Amino acid sequence: MTTHEYAREHTPRLQWAKYAPQVYKTMVRLDAAAGEGLDPKLRELVRIRASQLNHCAFCLDMHTKDALAAGESVERIIQLSAWEESRHFYTEKEVAALELTDAVTVLTDGFVPDEVYEQAAEQFDEAELAQLIAVIAVINAWNRFGVTTRAVPGHYQPGQYS
Amino acid sequence: MTARTTRLDAGVRTTLQAVGAAARRGLDDPALAELVQIRASQLNHCAFCLDMHLAGARRIGVSERQLDLLNTWEEAGEAFDERERAALALTEAVTVLTDGFAPDEVYEQAAKHFDETRIAHLIALITTINSWNRLMVARRIPPGSAEW
Repeated sequence: MTTHEYAREHTPRLQWAKYAPQVYKTMVRLDAAAGEGLDPKLRELVRIRASQLNHCAFCLDMHTKDALAAGESVERIIQLSAWEESRHFYTEKEVAALELTDAVTVLTDGFVPDEVYEQAAEQFDEAELAQLIAVIAVINAWNRFGVTTRAVPGHYQPGQYS
Repeated sequence: MTARTTRLDAGVRTTLQAVGAAARRGLDDPALAELVQIRASQLNHCAFCLDMHLAGARRIGVSERQLDLLNTWEEAGEAFDERERAALALTEAVTVLTDGFAPDEVYEQAAKHFDETRIAHLIALITTINSWNRLMVARRIPPGSAEW
């Protein structure tokens, strides 16, 4: 028999913020420090892209909603998982940031190629580039918390944690 | 070799250091913390981080045998106990997210050896070293460099 009901929502493995409150509070401060000085739309594209690579359902729910709230288009969010084949949806600066995001997120396969870093360094000044690298590192951290503790997606409201 | 850039926002640096300090305090096992940090740095190929944490491990008396065999801990028999093996399996699962999720059996094995507070801080430590690995590899900070 075919059922048309949705699958049941899972429960998280661990309410980690409750067991590591100091870590959680400091992560929130880290997140704010890393994001400072970057364009909100670019920031969210980077966060969505890393969350796609790391398969973080909770983070995808959160950052697609934050992107939409920041004025991002549905089309650009949809195309993001295939951005290499849909470059014309994005500016040169955004493409450089996405290339760097992919390289810095998938470290286990190699290093960050010179051409990827150089392309980013052409599009971003040194301070901005340092922030971009920090945002990529920090969303990778949230992805790891989200996936490992199996955080439940679907309930995020834009601005909920800010 | 010179760094691509040594630039890093001071707020990012100090808060990430504070996250790591809180994680290590909560895990409360300095030797295991170094094994976890070294293993993640091996997987992410972070030369600066390996140099730093191998030195840290030696300073607190982690055995040369464990450091030599860490790269192949699964096949290293009695060199690592069950608790260390559970932590290392979790480290690998949480570090290599792009190939899949963190499997139930890996998480459950870790949950057998670490209570909720410890496992939350262990996850935080794995996450923090992954962040440092990314900051150092992306900026190509040379091992031993005083400026990072």
